Amino acid sequence: MKKTLRSSLVALGLTLLPLAAQAGTVTVKGSDTMVILAQRWAEAFMKKNPSMKIQVTGGGSGTGLAALQNGTTDIAMSSREMKEAEEEKLRARYNTPPTQFSVAKDGVTFYVNEANKLDALTVEQLKDIYLGDTTSWKAVGGADAPIVLYSRENSSGTYVFVKDTVLGGDDFASAAQTLPGTAAVVNAVSKEKNGIGYGGAAYAKGIKELKVKKGNEAFAPTAENVKSGKYPLSRDLFFYLRNKPSGDVKAFIDFALSAEGQAIVTQVGYFPVK
Amino acid sequence: MAQATPPQEQLPTPPASEPREAVQPASPADPEPKQPPANAYSVPEGSPSIDERLSADEHRVEALEEQNTETKNDLSALKKLRFSGYVQARYLYQEPQDEVTGAGGFSRFTIRRSRLKATYTGDLAQFMLQIDASPTGVALRDAESTLFIPGTKQQLSLTLGQMKWPFGYEGPQSSSDREFPERSRVVRNMLPSERDRGAKVNGRYKFLRVSAGVFDGAGTDSGTTQDNDKEKDIIGRVGFDLKWIAGGVSGWYGQDLGKLPTDTFRRAYDRSRLGADLQAYFDVVPLGGTSLKGEFIAGRTYGAANNATHLDVPAHGWYLLLVQNIGLNDAVAVRYDTFDPHNGQANTANGETPGADNAVDTLGVVVQHHFGENLKVSATYELPMTQVVAQASDPKDNLFTLQMQARF
Repeated sequence: MKKTLRSSLVALGLTLLPLAAQAGTVTVKGSDTMVILAQRWAEAFMKKNPSMKIQVTGGGSGTGLAALQNGTTDIAMSSREMKEAEEEKLRARYNTPPTQFSVAKDGVTFYVNEANKLDALTVEQLKDIYLGDTTSWKAVGGADAPIVLYSRENSSGTYVFVKDTVLGGDDFASAAQTLPGTAAVVNAVSKEKNGIGYGGAAYAKGIKELKVKKGNEAFAPTAENVKSGKYPLSRDLFFYLRNKPSGDVKAFIDFALSAEGQAIVTQVGYFPVK
Repeated sequence: MAQATPPQEQLPTPPASEPREAVQPASPADPEPKQPPANAYSVPEGSPSIDERLSADEHRVEALEEQNTETKNDLSALKKLRFSGYVQARYLYQEPQDEVTGAGGFSRFTIRRSRLKATYTGDLAQFMLQIDASPTGVALRDAESTLFIPGTKQQLSLTLGQMKWPFGYEGPQSSSDREFPERSRVVRNMLPSERDRGAKVNGRYKFLRVSAGVFDGAGTDSGTTQDNDKEKDIIGRVGFDLKWIAGGVSGWYGQDLGKLPTDTFRRAYDRSRLGADLQAYFDVVPLGGTSLKGEFIAGRTYGAANNATHLDVPAHGWYLLLVQNIGLNDAVAVRYDTFDPHNGQANTANGETPGADNAVDTLGVVVQHHFGENLKVSATYELPMTQVVAQASDPKDNLFTLQMQARF
């Protein structure tokens, strides 16, 4: 009996050892759109809590959510809502529904090269462009030149958001070139004068951001327009957890949602949720 | 902050007899060419300059970027095609039965399931094929052809082919997700093989879940590949999912051709089921998530072979399952299930052997551990308790199952 008890305790110890070894470290993985924001939060949080370690990596929303399911991250960053299938898989594996936190807001921005004379497009025009129905800038009031499309990988939350919100769930034109991150899209559009791409506002440096027309007005992805909901392509940025937050994970999320954390949101170029 | 100096590239050194030439040529305007510093790069005559080499490298990187983009575009199309599968390899030990009943226990290794599944999901259509390779052969499990109704964002679909019956919770649940090696006794009897050929509509709207279809009715374990009657069975489930709690009610109505001892000719007998299921998920224990699941099914006409071993026989059963996660990788589950094969019929005995249609209650406990995302090991002990009368005794049929499940 004593032997059985001793064996059980050893087995329990081996099970709990990896958990104890990782105490003080929080891993955050997912959306490329949110990487810079999460890194800024991590830096500020670790400055206040020197014993804590926050590890932030990108890879796309889908990658982060898959890592959450595989148990290889504590927090998944996602620029889209979790799909029902992903939620059901998590629940089946961990026997508890996942927890969602909206930690910032973002306006998905369409970029064109600075040389492009267009300033605004309607959502319908953007849809026609990305479905491949409109292939020349002339058709939407621009120069007589072919449109060069840049898109994101399908593991990206931004990709899913544009597909659902702009394209109505339809597939992107096959001519759209897939690039591995928003920074790559910005870089490509800045080099290609007939290019168009999309991504988060935080990356939109050195190129022209398109306004989006709604009725007779055109709205830029500014803080006021995103907050008021006037800008039609705004979205929430999320943290997802396997269950309710506790310990170090809770402390980090509390920080992200605090006044200090939300000030960092503004500094990085996104919009606070509070 | 001090910047680290990058390591300098070693260039080939010319022989000592040859004259050395500085990289930077002297300006013709300079009356007295300056001597290059002692640590300046020196290159052999005719070698490309650093600018030329940098430019060449930039072109190489650009070419690689283009190739990478092309490869990614090719791969993104392939991402619609997904392969998955799992193998459930087992060691089984059943306690030896006593001399009275005759049959002995066993100790054996077995491959219970080895599945390979291919799914291609487009915007409007989905292809799904799943086969099961076992020591006795390869069998088709699922072959589904699905149309996503346009404009519904894949929330409404029509599927034709061979698929799982849309009935209850444990039946449609994947065996790779289940904690216990096998489904509960009532589900194994009422939904043998869990699959059939037919057509079904699947819909989701907010928290509502609806799935209903028309099926041959006999199931894929019926021993025939074609339905032998024109009667079709209508099967469906209406459910809800509020994240922490989910459930539904299921119904089945159809007919089965068969002949009872009192019949001169075959005639159609009702084949029906009614079911209710509920799953609740809690996050109250600091160790990990907790779930409590239960299901009740009552029906008439059932059985694995031709679905008619119990023609026109009413039966019912239920189970209750409690699962507790411990940390990220471990879980413990307890299940109690009961099945009465013949409602209202008293338990019988044949000497010391209980009757074949006596009710059976089963208590099971399983401990499982995940090794990463691909491997799950579980140890299960189940105690079936057959109801007995007179001199009959509960058979010694407790079962231990050690299972390793690898999936991808």
